[in-house]
Amino acid sequence: MMDENKNIAESPAKETSSKGIRVVYENRRSMGKKQKNLIGSIFKNGLLTVLTVIWLIPILWLVVTAFSANPGISYTRFFPERWTLANFKRIFFAPDSVLQYGRWFWNTLVIAIFSCAISTAFILMVSYAFSCTRFPGRQGMIRFSMILGMFPGVLSMIAVYFIMKSIGLTNSHIGMIVVYSAGSGLGYLIVKGFMDTIPVSMREAARLEGANELQIFFKVMMPLCKPIVVYQIISSFLAPWSDFVFARLMLNSGISKDWTVAIGLYNMLDKTLIHNNFSAFCAGGLIISLPISVLFVIMQKYYVESVTSGSTKG
Amino acid sequence: MRIERRKKKGSGGEALRGFKNYFTDFGSAVKNGDLGTKASLLVMGAGFLARKQIIKGILVTLVELMYFLAFALYSVPYLSKFGTLGTVKMEQSFDPITMQQTTNDYDNSFLILIHSMISLFLLVVFVMYYIHNMKAVYEVQKNAQAGKHVNSFREDLRDMLGKKFHVTLLTLPSIGVVMMNILPILVLVAIAFTNYDQSHMPPASLFTWVGFENFKALFSSGGMTITFGYAFGKVLSWTLIWAVFATFTNFIGGILLAVLINSKGVKFPKMWRSLFVVAIAVPQFVTLILVRNFFRDDGIVNTLCANAGITDFLKNIGLLGANMNYIPFLTSKGWANVMIILINIWVGVPYQMLIATGVLMNAPLDQVESARIDGASSSQVFWKITIPYILVVQGPALITDFVRNINNFNVIYLLTQDVYTTTDQMLANSNAKEVDLLVTWLFRLTNEYYNYKMASVIGIIVFIICVVFTLVSYSRLMAGGREEDYQI
Repeated sequence: MMDENKNIAESPAKETSSKGIRVVYENRRSMGKKQKNLIGSIFKNGLLTVLTVIWLIPILWLVVTAFSANPGISYTRFFPERWTLANFKRIFFAPDSVLQYGRWFWNTLVIAIFSCAISTAFILMVSYAFSCTRFPGRQGMIRFSMILGMFPGVLSMIAVYFIMKSIGLTNSHIGMIVVYSAGSGLGYLIVKGFMDTIPVSMREAARLEGANELQIFFKVMMPLCKPIVVYQIISSFLAPWSDFVFARLMLNSGISKDWTVAIGLYNMLDKTLIHNNFSAFCAGGLIISLPISVLFVIMQKYYVESVTSGSTKG
Repeated sequence: MRIERRKKKGSGGEALRGFKNYFTDFGSAVKNGDLGTKASLLVMGAGFLARKQIIKGILVTLVELMYFLAFALYSVPYLSKFGTLGTVKMEQSFDPITMQQTTNDYDNSFLILIHSMISLFLLVVFVMYYIHNMKAVYEVQKNAQAGKHVNSFREDLRDMLGKKFHVTLLTLPSIGVVMMNILPILVLVAIAFTNYDQSHMPPASLFTWVGFENFKALFSSGGMTITFGYAFGKVLSWTLIWAVFATFTNFIGGILLAVLINSKGVKFPKMWRSLFVVAIAVPQFVTLILVRNFFRDDGIVNTLCANAGITDFLKNIGLLGANMNYIPFLTSKGWANVMIILINIWVGVPYQMLIATGVLMNAPLDQVESARIDGASSSQVFWKITIPYILVVQGPALITDFVRNINNFNVIYLLTQDVYTTTDQMLANSNAKEVDLLVTWLFRLTNEYYNYKMASVIGIIVFIICVVFTLVSYSRLMAGGREEDYQI
């Protein structure tokens, strides 16, 4: 297609110019172009190298400091003077009054597993109801949920805190699970968008064969929605690991055993503690970053697809 | 898109009509109902019982009874004090007989407020259910009169997995949303009209309604002590400046990076993309805390700058005070504001790069081709075709990004909390800093100073700003009606 167009466009030139001149001219032009392309390529790859270095410096610092024998921050050296594995040993096997990394990891894991299960279930339920069933008031509910979604979670957090406090769920992991998962039904847009693309005929066929909606939900829709379900599971599993603000607000008792990883790592670097804990902080940060990065990279593909498909659909 | 818009315009009237029908249906159910149906006005299950739907009738009546019981035992005690939010202050006295401290039967304003809101909410839900029930009873009556089949209880249950599956699906998530989204918003709005703060903390003391006092306080300044108006102006303007810069630097940076990685002559585009993704895959609270220690006053960057003579150079050109021997990257105003925006580029550009890559892959190739044939240079193609395309596709996302940046708690809090201290006494009196966004200010007021009333007012203001901005820009964006150019 493209070549054809080019030929048509260039055909008048072919007719007017003599063949010999044209060959020389083309050669010279392609020589110049090649050189220009080469310079451009070197420039672009060089620029990318510089940018990548800038973007990776903090990550590199995290990695090397995690192996540093100096427990505090080094003010003069980027790479540690002496290398050691003691920081990893310390965060796992030598808990103190503040540093309880194993506990934090366990707490976050439990919270993440439960809230992931609940929010994934909620989101799938709401998406199916809004995408695959028709009932009076459906449009109204969708519109209402959109307006509700405009209210940023950070703003209502104090009121959420009050409500949790009045039912005695602050400083408790059940409370954290409720905070992360109860309102998750509002985040149905991406999954619903995916379900909308699945042809109605699939469900109709199942219905003709006598399946009820529950069976259609589990046996027809779930297998078809597998990729988006994976995306949803990973992203709701990751939320508690990277949440900072709600954990900070809800787990305010100062008992380090109750904290999640995010709060624990933040509090480890209190002004008075930073000179003892900085390398241990890096070790802890590195350890939780590894699984999260892997999950993130898996999720990334779906993330881009969902965002772009959502925006092109308008 | 245009069709959809028309639909939306129509929906305003539609919603109004639906609202009207909601009540007229109820009216006709009451008017045309027979004895059984009319009896449901009093005993909600009566209509079902008259139609021999025994179990359903009993269940519905039980719900009614339970609600009335809950209203009498739970709602009434709280709602009766809702007007004053409590009058009896907590007092402790020593009882010489039992040798124990006894506390009087005091009012807890906060519990009164929150449970009253829950009671009011339950009341609304019950009224809606009541109206719905009347209609359902009338429906059953009509069916019975027409000689149609009347469902047995077993059939009703089966419907919950069939025709009424949406009810089964939506019940639990709706309860969750009510608890986590709707009730908190109602409570937040209510607190904005009270004097709930550190000197009015239940249970030790009471708080009460103060009308619009808090809103007045936010918009007025009086001397050195009442500085909320002053602080609000400062914080709001920095919030907006930040949101504009953060949104556009990330947006443009992301597009440029995506175009650069996708452009001809770049080897291994996938590898470059993955390297940038690594930077954002590490959780923000790790990277941001790391970066803030990187730029400490006595940190490694400052050591390098001093050794390289940059610190002296900045002193010479007057960007640094003469008595400073370090660069206050995150500790002095101006410097900190610029640094935050720069660090945010580091945080946000890879995300935007990923999205822009996805958008570029769907770019209208045929338009690019025809432009090439017409003799457009590649920079012309980029500016005249690629960029407008990205803007149209990404426009709505740009709006959500702007709103998200207004509420970008993580970046600001993790970079400046415990690091930045303000020197402006008037700001400090209101517990604000030059680098605060409205949300971080709100958070500090809540979490450190227990000034709930002002925090609620700020929350409401932020919400209004976000909604107005979203609505105005959406209508502007959609009014252009340029989406069709790219729809195939």
